[in-house]
Formats: sequence, C-alpha cells, structure tokens
Amino acid sequence: MFLRILIANRGEIALRIIRAARELGVQTVCVYSQADKDGPWLEYADEKICIGPGAAAESYLRVDRIISAAEIAQVDAIHPGYGFLAENAHFAEICRECKIEFIGPSPEAMGLLGDKIVCRKMAREASTPVFPGSEGAVEDEEEAIEVGRRIGYPLMVKASGGGGGRGMRLVRDEALLSGALLAARQEAQASFGNGAVYMEKFLEGGRHVEVQVLGDKHGHAIHLYDRDCTSQRRHQKLVEESPAPRVEGEKRNAVARSAAELIRRAKYAGAATVEFMMDGDQNFYMLEVNTRVQVEHPVTEMVTGVDIVKATIQIAAGEPLAWRQRDVKLRGHAIECRLNAEDPDQGFVPRPGTIDRFRLPGGPGVRVDTHVRRGYRIPAMYDSLIGKLIVWGATREEAIAKMRCALEELDLGTIRSTIPFHRRLMRSREFIEAELDIHCIERMYGEKGAFPS
Amino acid sequence: MIDIRKLKELVRLMVANELTELDLRDTEEQVTLRRDSQSAGAGAAEGSVGSGTAGSRPVAVAEGGPRSAEGGGEEGLLRVESPMVGTFYSAANPDALPYVHAGTAVGPETVVCMIEAMKIFNEIKAECSGTIERVLVKNGDAVEFGQAIFLVKPS
Repeated sequence: MFLRILIANRGEIALRIIRAARELGVQTVCVYSQADKDGPWLEYADEKICIGPGAAAESYLRVDRIISAAEIAQVDAIHPGYGFLAENAHFAEICRECKIEFIGPSPEAMGLLGDKIVCRKMAREASTPVFPGSEGAVEDEEEAIEVGRRIGYPLMVKASGGGGGRGMRLVRDEALLSGALLAARQEAQASFGNGAVYMEKFLEGGRHVEVQVLGDKHGHAIHLYDRDCTSQRRHQKLVEESPAPRVEGEKRNAVARSAAELIRRAKYAGAATVEFMMDGDQNFYMLEVNTRVQVEHPVTEMVTGVDIVKATIQIAAGEPLAWRQRDVKLRGHAIECRLNAEDPDQGFVPRPGTIDRFRLPGGPGVRVDTHVRRGYRIPAMYDSLIGKLIVWGATREEAIAKMRCALEELDLGTIRSTIPFHRRLMRSREFIEAELDIHCIERMYGEKGAFPS
Repeated sequence: MIDIRKLKELVRLMVANELTELDLRDTEEQVTLRRDSQSAGAGAAEGSVGSGTAGSRPVAVAEGGPRSAEGGGEEGLLRVESPMVGTFYSAANPDALPYVHAGTAVGPETVVCMIEAMKIFNEIKAECSGTIERVLVKNGDAVEFGQAIFLVKPS
C-alpha cells in the first residue's frame, strides 16, 4: 500500500479521497489554488501545497506544478479525482515517467476506451450492446449515405476523439448529411486535433442508465450494477439512483456483465463507468465509457456496500479485487440529489455566495458528501457543485420518503441552490412513478422559469 | 467617451454582486469589465473600451511580481514570491556562494535564487529594486506557488 498520496483535485471529491486514503492508513497531500486557500477540505489532509492562482488552467490543470508538488512531498501516487486531469492520458503518461503511480487506468487503456471508434469496436467484441452505426470511421460522403440508409434517421455524426457534446451533429434527413459530416469533422479537428468521425443511430428520449465497473491489475473485472441518471438538464445530471427502476433482472445482469467484459478486454485497472441509453423496450445502447470515478459513485456504494474510492487506491497499489462477481449483491435502493449553487428558477444559472446557515440531515441511511461548512464562500470560478445528498432505503418508496425528509432538514441558508428543485422533484408524479426520460426535467421546468406548481 | 463615474459605478456593482465579467453594449459603445475574483479587497478590475465593434480583446490579468507585505513587522517591504512549486536553492551549485543575502542590492533582473522542479533548475529574478531585507527560506527547502521567499526593502 502507498505511504503517501497526492490529491490533484478540490472540493467534495478531494475530501472523499482524503477520507478513503486515511482509512487505508495512507498519508495525504492536497494541492490547492490561491482561490481555495480557505478550502475546508484542506484541513483534513496531512499536508497542502499551493500550486497556482485561482484559474484552473494555472493551477489544477498545471501538470508541471502538480508533478513538482508530488516530488517535493515525496508521494507514491496521485489521485486525480474527476474532471481536471482525471481523463488526461498525457498526465497519466508523465506520472509513469516520473515513477509516480497514477490512480486510474494506464494511458493505453484510457486511450483505447477514450477513442470512441476503437471503443465501439471493442464493445461489439465484448457483446456490449451499441447503437447501430458505421463500422469505423466514415471516410467519405458515399459511405455516409450508405450507412444512413442502413441505420435510418435520425442519426448522429460523432467525433471519435470527442466529448462534452462537441464534434457531434444530429441529422434528421439524408439531404442534411453531407453538411453535417463536414461540420462535425471541422469541429472535431479544431477541438481535438482529430477529424475522424463515425455515425450512430439516434434515440429520441430514452433513459440514461450506466454501469459501474472495477478492474484490477491482475486481469479481473467486475460490475457493481447500474445507475439511472435520467434526471438531467442540458446533459448535466441532477439526480441519480441505483438500481435503475423498472428494468428486468436478466436484462440488467446481461448489460452489466457485458460492461465488465469490455473493461477486462481493455486491461483496465481502476473504476470506470459504461454509459448507455435505454429505450422503451429495455434495449441498451452504449454511449461512451468514462475512465474515472464519477460524481454519483455514492449511490452504487450504498446499494452494494463497496467503497469505490478506496478500491481505486487499492487497485492502483496492485491489490487484486477483493470481490468476485458473485459476491456483489444489490441491496435496497439509493438516490442522490446534487446540491449545486445554482438558481433553478433562473435557468439554473450559477450563483456563488456564502453559506450563512448550515444544517445537515442525519439518521440511518442518510449520507452527505460535502466540503462546505458555515461561513464558506463559494468561489465563482469552479463548478457549482457544493455537495451531494444521498439516501438509502429498503425500497425505492422508502428511499424517496427518506430523501423528502432529508431535504426538509437540509439548510444551507440564503444561497440559491437546487434544494427547492429537488424538493419539488421528489414530490412529482414523474419521479415517484419512475416515468422519466432525458427530456423530462426540461419539459417540467421549461428552459427558464419556475417549476409549475 | 464612457463617463468615468459610470465606470466606477459598474465596478462597484460588479464587486458587490461578485461578478467576474460584465459586458455592456449599445449601438455606439461597448464596455467589457473583467476582474480576477480571488483578489483581496476591491478586486483588480480592468476595462477595455471600444466603439461599435463586436467581440472584446482579452485582457491579461497581471499575476506575480513582488507585492507589498502586510503586517508582522513587514510593513513597507516587498515580498518576492515563488512563481512555481519546487525546491529552493540559494546558490547556483553547492560550491558557489549564495546569489544574495541580507543587504544585497537587487534590481529587476537580478537572479536571487534557483528553484528546481523535475530536475530543471529555474533562475528566479527579483523583479523589483531595493535591498534584500530577509531571506525567508533555507537552502533545500520545498516551496509552493506564491510562497514568500525574500523580503526586499524597496529603494
């Protein structure tokens, strides 16, 4: 096991990693920017090192300063958390060259699964269900038209090196295909330096269901079942739950097993999430693979009893997975509500401010992952996530009831936050009856303006 | 020409509402104000005024360079801060004399120390004029970004 690790992140995930490391007896060093000098999570670390001014590009994304900090603090490994450098193969490569363990997959595994065309091919080989689409990169217009006729419209032209919604074009008609192809290629080349594009059938509506997987350095891979993250607004998740409601057991098991198989074939060591869209007939189609720990990992931890963040550290230290697939059982139901410093009545616009009251809910099955405390001033320059409220119940109904109570107890003062949104959502017919699709929140809310009462 | 009082009011509003960027335009004028939100006190607001053109020039926020020291017997002294993370060395090599010591006169281009990171040695310059009042770290100490390494009495 490592003696000391460096956490190259901030906020709630930095605290989460510090806790996991300390439980394993590992010392912690946390880097921070000048804007985060009063970050409450820093007090939990054994050491802290300032690596730059507030702007992420000059601090949390500065590979050179993070590596320097790792060297002067003499750490064995770096945990990147999520966001920032977590999916940066170049950073993982540099860690390796500097003989510092990167707590995550190898640059090779990251590269394989991060290249969408390669990932699709590997998924097909692993029997992981994918959207009907092109075999590989679409070379020319003629091929594109042929693919379009085979898979039907609407379809998506997507960048292989892409992410974050860029380098993608939705095409509803063959007449618009060649224009979309050109535009997607150009955007892909400009954004990622890689103009390769492929095509996939597009699913209208549907639910976002993802599978959590863990792989170790000894060739083992297991899944930790699924999460439903359909409650989204503009591709930003707001609520997640596990297991995904109204999914047949055998279909759940099959897609989860295929996700584990994909990870195993990629020789992936660490935590990953295979994202799918699910249609009305419970067919799954892979969207992409996220090669990192995700924000919503707690819901999986609550229903499986597996500490995912601890597992990432153990895996990186070379330990084999402590569970075989048959050891992993789903128990009960968990829901997570993301607490963002945003105004839901004003299009979820970010609203930094100061936490002037602070009361957290508690009791059995209630968990809060947050870095904030009373008096904390939320900086404007990072994402607006201030915490996560997670509950566990024996059934989904009990979990919802518990979440309602917990949301009533939760008080973060006068800041604008997503708390009122969650309170309303937990009382909505759509959520209670699990009749959600990815456009649901936008329909219920409208683009701006208040939730209809 | 934008009324300076209007500009001052805009800056005050920005600070009061913790805004980092404000962009106002009409058919004749355009004002863009950008501030570094973690600066202490009133914030370092910078403005660029153009007329009728869409898109504003990016404004570089000045970082680094010696800052006035506050409190702790440091009044009136400038802090030379580390611009990087690494290991502080007071001399070019173990056999050499230190670059500076208390009393050494320095100018903006005077090399005051080396900071090593990832086996690369970086010469750090004073970027101010005066005399070294105090050396705050020892040879071989680890230093973080922004850490004060020298106090300089300005000339």
